Order: sequence, then C-alpha cells, then structure tokens
Amino acid sequence: MKKRGTGLGCTWYGTGYGNGFPDVSSAFVEIHDDGTAAVLTGAVDVGQGSSTVFAQIAAEELGLRPEDILVCSGDTDVTPDSGTTAATRQTYNTGNAVLKAVRQAKLRLQEFGARKFSCPSPEGIELKDGMIGVRGDPSRSMPLSELAWEARLLHGERFISASSFTAQTTAVNLENGQGAPYWPYAFGCQAAEVEVDTDTGTVRVLKIAAAHDLGRAVNLTQVEGQIAGGVAQGVGYALLEEVELAEGRIKNPAFARYLIPTALDVPEIESMIVEEPEDTGPYGAKGLGEPAMLPTIAAIINAIDAAVGVRITSLPATPEKILAALAEKQRGGSGG
Amino acid sequence: MTSVIGSRVVREDAWGKVFGQAQYPADLNLPGQIYGVVLRSPHSHARILSMDVRKARELPGVAAVLTAADVPRNSHGVLYRDQPVLVAEHIRMVGDPLLAVGAESLELAREAAGLVEIEYEPLPALFDTEEAMRPGASPLHPEVHGLSNVFYHLPVVKGDLNKGWEIADVVVERDYSTQMVDHAFLQPEAVLAHVDARGNLVIQVSTQYPHYDRGEIAHALGIKVSRVQVKTLSIGGSFGGREDISLQLIAAMLAYKTLRPVKMENSREESFYSHCKRHPMSMHYKTGATRQGKLVALEARIVGDAGAYASWSPNILRKAAIHATGPYEIPHLRVDSYAVFTNNPWTGAMRGFGAAQPVLAYESQMDILAQELGLSPLEIRLRNIFRTGSVTATGQLLSGSVGLEECLQKVAPFLRQEEDKE
Amino acid sequence: MVELELTVNGKACMLKIEPGERLIDVLRQRLGLTGTKEGCGEGECGACTVIMDGRTINSCVVLAIQAHGRDITTIEGVGNRIRPHPVQRAFVEEGAVQCGYCTPGMVLAAKALLDKNPDPSPQEIGAAMSGNLCRCTGYDKILRAVQRAAREVTGT
Repeated sequence: MKKRGTGLGCTWYGTGYGNGFPDVSSAFVEIHDDGTAAVLTGAVDVGQGSSTVFAQIAAEELGLRPEDILVCSGDTDVTPDSGTTAATRQTYNTGNAVLKAVRQAKLRLQEFGARKFSCPSPEGIELKDGMIGVRGDPSRSMPLSELAWEARLLHGERFISASSFTAQTTAVNLENGQGAPYWPYAFGCQAAEVEVDTDTGTVRVLKIAAAHDLGRAVNLTQVEGQIAGGVAQGVGYALLEEVELAEGRIKNPAFARYLIPTALDVPEIESMIVEEPEDTGPYGAKGLGEPAMLPTIAAIINAIDAAVGVRITSLPATPEKILAALAEKQRGGSGG
Repeated sequence: MTSVIGSRVVREDAWGKVFGQAQYPADLNLPGQIYGVVLRSPHSHARILSMDVRKARELPGVAAVLTAADVPRNSHGVLYRDQPVLVAEHIRMVGDPLLAVGAESLELAREAAGLVEIEYEPLPALFDTEEAMRPGASPLHPEVHGLSNVFYHLPVVKGDLNKGWEIADVVVERDYSTQMVDHAFLQPEAVLAHVDARGNLVIQVSTQYPHYDRGEIAHALGIKVSRVQVKTLSIGGSFGGREDISLQLIAAMLAYKTLRPVKMENSREESFYSHCKRHPMSMHYKTGATRQGKLVALEARIVGDAGAYASWSPNILRKAAIHATGPYEIPHLRVDSYAVFTNNPWTGAMRGFGAAQPVLAYESQMDILAQELGLSPLEIRLRNIFRTGSVTATGQLLSGSVGLEECLQKVAPFLRQEEDKE
Repeated sequence: MVELELTVNGKACMLKIEPGERLIDVLRQRLGLTGTKEGCGEGECGACTVIMDGRTINSCVVLAIQAHGRDITTIEGVGNRIRPHPVQRAFVEEGAVQCGYCTPGMVLAAKALLDKNPDPSPQEIGAAMSGNLCRCTGYDKILRAVQRAAREVTGT
C-alpha cells in the first residue's frame, strides 16, 4: 500500500570560519578608461555563482550593468587572498570586501566628479545608468566612460582600490563552550511530502516547500539554484547515499554502486525567500549554500513517520530499514 | 535602472559552459607533458617494512618515481599538518598515498607503479569510534595528537541540567546515527602542473582555495610562495571535497623534480579515495519539555568518526556541538562532542560541516516530543524557535536577522494536518 | 593500429587508432574536442554523452572503433555564440548552468530528445534526462530549460 505524509524540518546555520579565527577576504578594484570595471578576488566560483554576485555588487555601486564588470578570481599570481569557498562565506565575506573596495574607488570618482561639476561635496555626486553627475541635476552629468577617460588622459587620475573585510566572532570557552562563535546565522524550514510504499519500503519525495532566511537575495536565479541543489543533496543523504566500508576499504567507489539522486529522484520544489536583513552584510545578505540542504533531511524523516508511523533513526532511510521498522511495529514494538 | 541586487543576472560563464568551451583541468595539455599516478595503500593500518622502486625507475619511459624520501617537508593538513604527502612508514588508511610515478603515458605510469615491491607489516586496526575511544586503545597519531584517539572534545554547558530534568514533564531519549557520504562532485580531481619560463611552479587546478594550496605546495617543497602560482579553472562542484589539498601537491612535486609538465587525472574510483568524506556521527539525545511544550533540558553526546587524519574535524565537531540544540532556546543543557581517530577513510568538510548530522537528532526529537505532548509539529516549534533577542546554547545573543518564524509560516500551509491523512 | 573513419560535427575524419581506444579518448585527445567530459568511466553519469546517428551514447563505454562509419555530434557541433541552439539558450536563460561539468552532456541529451520528440511531456523529459547526473542544480532548472527549449522549437 502507498501512504502519504508530510514532515517538517527547521534548522539554523552559523556561517563563516567562526570561533574567532580571522575570517578575512580581500578585493582589488580598477575602473577602466571606458567606464567599465574589474574586480579581482581570490574567491573561486565552484558553480554556486560568487563571481556573478560580485559583478552585481560592483554594478550596483557604480551604476553600471553587471556585464560591464570583469570579475577575475582564484589566481594566486593576480588576485588577493579571499579565503576558501566554503562555510557559506563568499557572498557575505568577499561580498563585503568587494563592496568596501568598490566604494573606495567610487569615492575617488565622486571626488573627481565634485571638482569637475563644481559640487561642494563628493556625496552630491551620483553614479547611475552609466552616468556620473550632480544628484538631481541631469544638466551637470556625463557618461562615466568619458569621465574615466578624461581623468586618466588629461589629469593622470586613476580609480584603483583594495580593501579587506573580516567577520567578527569569538572563540568558545573550552570548559563550557560559551562564546559568540559564528556570525551571521542563516535559518531555514522545509516541508516534505513523501509517499511510502509499505510493500517495498521505498520512499518517493513528492514535494519540498523550502523557505530560507538568507538576509537578502542578491541573485534570485542563483538562490533558487542553491535551494534546489541543496534539496537534491538532502534527498540523497536522507534516502540513498552511503559509503560502505569493509575493514576501512570502500566497497562502492563507483556511481553504479554509490547512488546519488537522478532527475527522477528529485521532488517538485517550491522555494520561498525570507529576507530578514543582516546589518553587517552586503545589502543585508547573509548566505545560503550549506543551509539549503539541512532541513530536507529532517523533513523527509519526519514525513516518513507521518505517513507510516515508523521513526527512522539512522540514515539513510533505506527500504530495508523501513520494512524492518514496519515489521517491528506490526509485532507491537515502538518502530525505528 | 532597477536595482541589480535581487535581480536575475545570468552567470558570466554560462554561455561558455553550454558551448563546451569552459576549461576544467583535465581539458588542458602542454607539449612534452608526462602523466602522473599515485600508488595508494591497500591496507588500513600497516607499517612499510621495505619499498623497492628499482624496477619501476628502470622501466623505459618513466621520468620519475617519488617516495617519501623525495619530499622535503612531508606533511600537509588544513588545521594540523598530520597527513603525509607520501607515507614514509606508518600507513593509517586504505588509500594513503605511498608513491608517485611520472611517465610518458598514463599506461606506462600505471605499469611502473605496479612494478614497485612493497613489504608491509599489517597492524591491528580500529574501525569503530567507541573502540578507538577506549583507554588503552592504540593511538593513531602519537607524535602530533598525543596518546588518545580522542583528539577533540568540546563541552557546551548552560544553566543547571538537574533543574531542567526537575521541571520537565516529558523526557524523550533516543540514539541516532548518520552515515559516511561522499561529495560526488561530477568532475574528478585533475591538475596540470609545470615549471614556467620564470622558473616558477604553475599549478592549474580545480580547488576551493588556491591560496591555501599555494602555501601547502610551497611548504612541502621548501620554496617561497612567490615561486608558486595556483590558478583555478572551471570547477566541477566541490561541496567541501576540494578543501584538503589533493593531486595538485603531487603533480607539483613531479613537475619540480622532472621539469616536465605533469598531468594527473583521477578516475572516479581514485577520486573516492583521494578526498575526505562526511563524518558519520553517533548521537545520543535526551530532551525534556514542559507540558506546555517548552523545551527545558537537553543532554547530548555526539561522536564523530574522523577517520585517519584530523582535517577539519575539530571545527566540525565544534560546529555540531554549537548547533546541537537546533534553532531552539533550551535553558538547561550539556552537550559533549568528540572527534575520534579510526583507520577509516578520513573525514572532513562537506556541505553542512557538522551542522548537518545533528539535524536528524534534534528535529526527530521535536516531532517525538510533539507527539507525546499532543501538539502539532508546527506548534511545538513555534513555542521554542529562535527569535530576535534569543540566546543560543553558547550564550550568544541573536541581536538581529532571525527570520525563522517567517520561514515556518511560509511552509506551514504545505503541512497536512492529522485529519486529512488517508 | 586500426583505421577509423567517422564524421564528427559534420566533418569527415580519418584516424589511426589503437583497437582498444575508447570513443571519449579519441574525441578529447586525438581530436581536441574537450567539451565532452568524463565523470565516472562506466556509463553511469552521462557527462560524456555524445550523439551517434541521432541517439545519445556514453562515449566512455563505447570503443572508438564502434563509431566507424557513424555520424557523431559533440557539444562543439551544437551551436555557438552567434547562433546558439534553443537548448543552449534555454539552459542559460533558465539558470540551468552551475558548475557546468554535466552541462555538455545535458545539452546533448536534451537536443537528442527534442530532435525526435519536439513536444515531450514532463515525464518524457524526466526519463530522457535521467541518465545524466548533476550534483549542483537539483535538476529543477535543467528540466525547466528543456521545457522552455521545447516551446521554442515548436513555436508555442
């Protein structure tokens, strides 16, 4: 018989290296003569989309299009150290470093603009839609491309900057674990609907509804991609995957025997975003990479219990374990 | 112009990837390159008594056979340098790298590796964390980590646990366990290393952290970091599995030794053995709540199997302890978290980094408690979740950006109530 | 050495190869077509997908000599920046590309499907793409991209 049930998973995740370890990222920025810009960071894009995030941050600040920003990353001869692409830290940490560096270069542009347009303060100069000029006075503005060119060729002015950002945490006390070991924290909840076949013990995940508080979504497409990818890995972790060992030897070091989810194993996914801004994050952003997979695990395990009344306490929830738990339950045991 | 923050900007490398133009390390070649392979240990715990590489070195077409004796500083590791580049004597896991061969073709390199004669003395091995934790268990790393296999322990203590049990109306106690899993990124490790016109080592690789790799390569070879360039190409997924340094260190040594470009590519099977795994954890949870559904006490013991090397284990078991409550306020608690060496494959960073495993335990406990108290899973969570102003198990004030309640409200409509169950 | 004659991306190729060479090695090493990726070496992951006479095959488990006289399409033969294939455009626009290692195989699997069945159901799309593993995207946007490409191909 096939039975359905829903389950809830609710999780939190401290981002960054944490525990007081200096979590520092750096970025270099250069404004080109034609008003486009380069951002250099050591942060590598492993597929999650950090380079696109940095281009968006620079474009937002400089009033340019993201495609006008060249992001160069992960070359030790060229780029500064921006820490590892891990710990859900690149949008927050290196994003902040990029933001600080871009704002430095921008301030130089504003100062030059203030002199050029006889504006009393650099804050009165805005960069928008590829233009630079006096805020609220379109007659005193010009394309950034012309200003940058003029600045270098007529005045020898360059707009180049470097900056670093360090996340703030403290080490926990080794006697009692007290301290402020991470910042910021990301939160998420997911609901899973599963169908359990009580004859075969197989579980099909029909739907996952995922809501994640990531502070601020910088790139909606990439946010959805992280959530769906996290859900798929959560499905694999909860139901399919296990490195099997025999005396320390891996028995299944091949995709034929180590099963990861295929297109047929993933559920319909509804992703929802909660933006509870983080004061110290770039535009309020925290992070999402790791948190995306965490609630899936519990949502599925709890949904299995809701569907057939057995509690699986060891991952993965294989058909064998579910059948054994169902049999135990029939015999009058507690199940699981 | 509308804000570009929050929009749907297309990633800049997407076009190159759909045309098959994006380059991953295995896609690169240099004239005159040789191919490198690593010979790995078939034993989980053993001593190398002798290693005879003469036949391998004499095979025509073999450019270099490197052993531990060829590594100036034979160690690496993200927190502790407790992992040998090539094992000199003490093998601690199946897959430990024993030697590297560089030859004119991959087949030749493999053939040469097969000609190496090694005499092993198998040693008693530990595969179970509880056994490895026992006093008197043979320590795996006496030199670096002392005489116990428990190389990290963090207690998190808050409030008065006795009082917590006193005021608890319901107590739920269960054991949970999670399995070892692999990152299974689609792109197996690959690297192209060469010494360039400046005399510098250039390593083109997929890695999560090029500056770290540069430091490890410079350390192992005893050269300055300014003589090493680590350049990342497209990266075919990582999920934590490209944190510890891998083939790039061995390719760098072969290139430095032979002055030939060196290409290395893992098969999927080799990939399984050449990066860390996710920690299996066993978790004992005892959770108490009042009749009103307020959590009041938690006692948890979390043991993580670190396998043969430390990697990120202390940080991972620390993270497990810190996140052990779940996103809930619990006034009285004690959590003990341990990292333990065994002769299993080494474990390290993987998406979730120690905060993934306890999810199974703390969220199962919540549903069991809800059942006992006659509350819905949603209701019991709403009564305990972190909000702005909450204090965590480590005493940290959550001063802002706590959007959990809104997340719960958003997913609530997708939960079926008991009555609509068929 | 044996003689191998085949058509790759519309171009006739004549090569001398070892009898045991795999098709993927001939494509990647002898012809320099590195858009075809190797992920598992046992035909499980689909990263090495190419189209042979209209059907997708895993080039890591096919001997090159089995392609003798056949017509092969690799990712390099599917479109370019000036004239992208609808599947390629849909993958980019839907955000179906992340790490990108599965992408060439996915694009070819989708193209082969739409060449035969321009208006597939979601179930047919899922089945056709299930031989190609992806570890990053959760498949959601990949499946949407194939649907989008189908709409473009059929003009609906």
